[in-house]
Amino acid sequence: MSRVLSWRSALVLAALVALPALPFMSQFYLLLAFDALLFGAIAMSLDLLIGYTGLVSFGHAAFFGLGAYSTAILLERGIVSLWVCLGFAALVVGLYALLVSYFSTARRGIYFALLTLVFAEVVYTFFRYTQTFGGSDGIQGVPPAQLLPGVAIDTPLSNYYAVVVYLALAYVLCRVFVTSHFGKVLVAIRENEDRARFLGYNVQRYKIAVCMISALLTGIGGALYPGRSAFATPDLMLWTVSGEFIIMVMIGGLGTLAGPIIGGAFFVLLQEQVSSYVDWYFMVIGLVLVFIVLFMPRGLLGFRRMLGFGQWRATT
Amino acid sequence: MKRVTWLALLVAVALVVSLTAPAISQQKVVKIGDLGSKVGVFEGYGKYQTMGIQLAVEEINAKGGVLGHRIEVISEDDDTKPAPAIRKAEKLILQDGVKLLIGAVSSGSTLAMMDVTKKHKTIHWNSVSCAEFMRTTKFHKYYFSNQPDSRQQANGLAKYILDKMGKKTYIFYTDYAMGQSDARQFKTALEKLGGEVVGVAGAPLDTKDFSPWFGAINQSNPDVLFLAFAGTDSLRLMTQLHSFGMTKKYKLAGIDCFLLQQDLQAIAEPMEGFVQLNHFSAYNPDPNMQAFNQKFKKKFNVDANIAAGAYDAVYFWKAAVEKAGNFDPDQVSAAHEGLCIDNTHIGRQCIRKEDHQVVMDMHLYRVEKGKNLPIARIDGKDAIGEPLVGQDPLKGFTWEIKKKN
Repeated sequence: MSRVLSWRSALVLAALVALPALPFMSQFYLLLAFDALLFGAIAMSLDLLIGYTGLVSFGHAAFFGLGAYSTAILLERGIVSLWVCLGFAALVVGLYALLVSYFSTARRGIYFALLTLVFAEVVYTFFRYTQTFGGSDGIQGVPPAQLLPGVAIDTPLSNYYAVVVYLALAYVLCRVFVTSHFGKVLVAIRENEDRARFLGYNVQRYKIAVCMISALLTGIGGALYPGRSAFATPDLMLWTVSGEFIIMVMIGGLGTLAGPIIGGAFFVLLQEQVSSYVDWYFMVIGLVLVFIVLFMPRGLLGFRRMLGFGQWRATT
Repeated sequence: MKRVTWLALLVAVALVVSLTAPAISQQKVVKIGDLGSKVGVFEGYGKYQTMGIQLAVEEINAKGGVLGHRIEVISEDDDTKPAPAIRKAEKLILQDGVKLLIGAVSSGSTLAMMDVTKKHKTIHWNSVSCAEFMRTTKFHKYYFSNQPDSRQQANGLAKYILDKMGKKTYIFYTDYAMGQSDARQFKTALEKLGGEVVGVAGAPLDTKDFSPWFGAINQSNPDVLFLAFAGTDSLRLMTQLHSFGMTKKYKLAGIDCFLLQQDLQAIAEPMEGFVQLNHFSAYNPDPNMQAFNQKFKKKFNVDANIAAGAYDAVYFWKAAVEKAGNFDPDQVSAAHEGLCIDNTHIGRQCIRKEDHQVVMDMHLYRVEKGKNLPIARIDGKDAIGEPLVGQDPLKGFTWEIKKKN
């Protein structure tokens, strides 16, 4: 089709659209699919940073949480338009992301990761202790958002389609970026930052731009979350959530976009299934991660391609 | 030949299984959900909640179940966080089709769960969480509780503390839904009775080192230190208070579920003299309590505790279902209202119609050599307070310390 949207991607999208029609897709599976696709999309947006630019962000949970809080705050106050909620979330997350990326991108490697973590912890602590936003209990019991006046996104099915649209748009946007000159510069920065600078690229500006894009996509994902769960709590911004996002990217495969979507979905489904049978489910997830890192370093998508089912297309 | 014998045996076993299986599965099944913390800071409460449910279900099934249905319990862990609590509650209701959901342990998770049980019209019993929002702003018609909430506990404790322990109290609480709620209600109750709160502080859930707060406590020089913590937080706090000599310096009091009886033996010395309100103790000579403890111990080989609440919740639901004559949530909810059950561990318990809170007597206990010994009985009607459905419990409340001369 084009370098942005392949036939395979279009087919997957069509399958996702048709998924609710399957006879076994109960309301619960639709909600589970919502979580799987939402976190898959967030992992994909993080892949722009980790996989393409070589920047490991340990603060993505803050973007997600801020997006969720932005929506929850408006919904709680009776402003139920989805578009206003998304716009407000984009504004709040954008401003915060500008601040974080400006300072964090001034440093490389572990220092970048630490700075993103520290900023995220500040935001977490702020919401944790601010009673205006519900303190540690957060904002709970918010009404659903409305697509148009009187058209609420209040069923598992409508929430599912909302997240499918978000995922599709986010994927196309990410593909546009990574296949453009901008994306190639990001890979150049990842491979050799000094060389990219000597070639005349303003490296920090590129880093800020990709941080902003990744943060905004994550924030928009977060903005959809209260519509499904009816709450936003500080737990959503905990550093462990940022860690989970990184795990999702690694499981799926760095620098592939589609890989982290699979990784995110895989992580959510694995967590859901294993936690119903084992109390210490994180041990199982940890073992899966160890297995993937040792035996499938290119993640689930890379492994599939290593077996000859497709060409390895990561940006290496 | 040997192989033929084995084969014949296998076929015989398969035949027996296939013939008996339909007979076994002929009884209809009704599923109930058990959602709570199975690991982490509140692990103990979640595990005992499961045990209480199991015991009740086993007894009920032995007598033919509910309306001819055998009860099946499905247990899930909420990770003590609202997001997994919601996901698991949805799984239990939408996927497993439970008709009753009991949980959660953490107040934050229970509050989040309430949105799910309200949306999907599912009978929801809480037997551990105690934040006051559940029977005020978050209340809905499918929600019921037999856990004394913060207001009940504060009303029960405040008078005893003022009369017997001291006038000046410092409130130290775990800074999330449950602790904040307990601290707020206790401050309100104490000040209403003329007591003085000399200081208030909150420490985050799962705090490892409490010593940074000790200076402020010592500086305010209270008679009583009121502690609103639970689970492993309580264990760490008491150990650290003791090592700083503060368990001897101040009289200590705390909330229901501050520590499970099972944990008391390990820190008997720091806990010596600690006063708390509780609705169960294995060391209470009350015949009802001993009878419950006996059957609990017989099954699980440990003393009963807060598990009594989950056990009673199943019996309340059973009685309501039988009264309604079906499992329809609206009819079962209506059947719950005003329902009483007798001969429980604390005698008669009744569900108040207005806010679905169970009215029951409670005991005040003092810890002596690792045992919760009763020192007073509090009438349920005196402690429960008026129904406040839909009213904001924070209205008019202030953390401001009113100094007295």
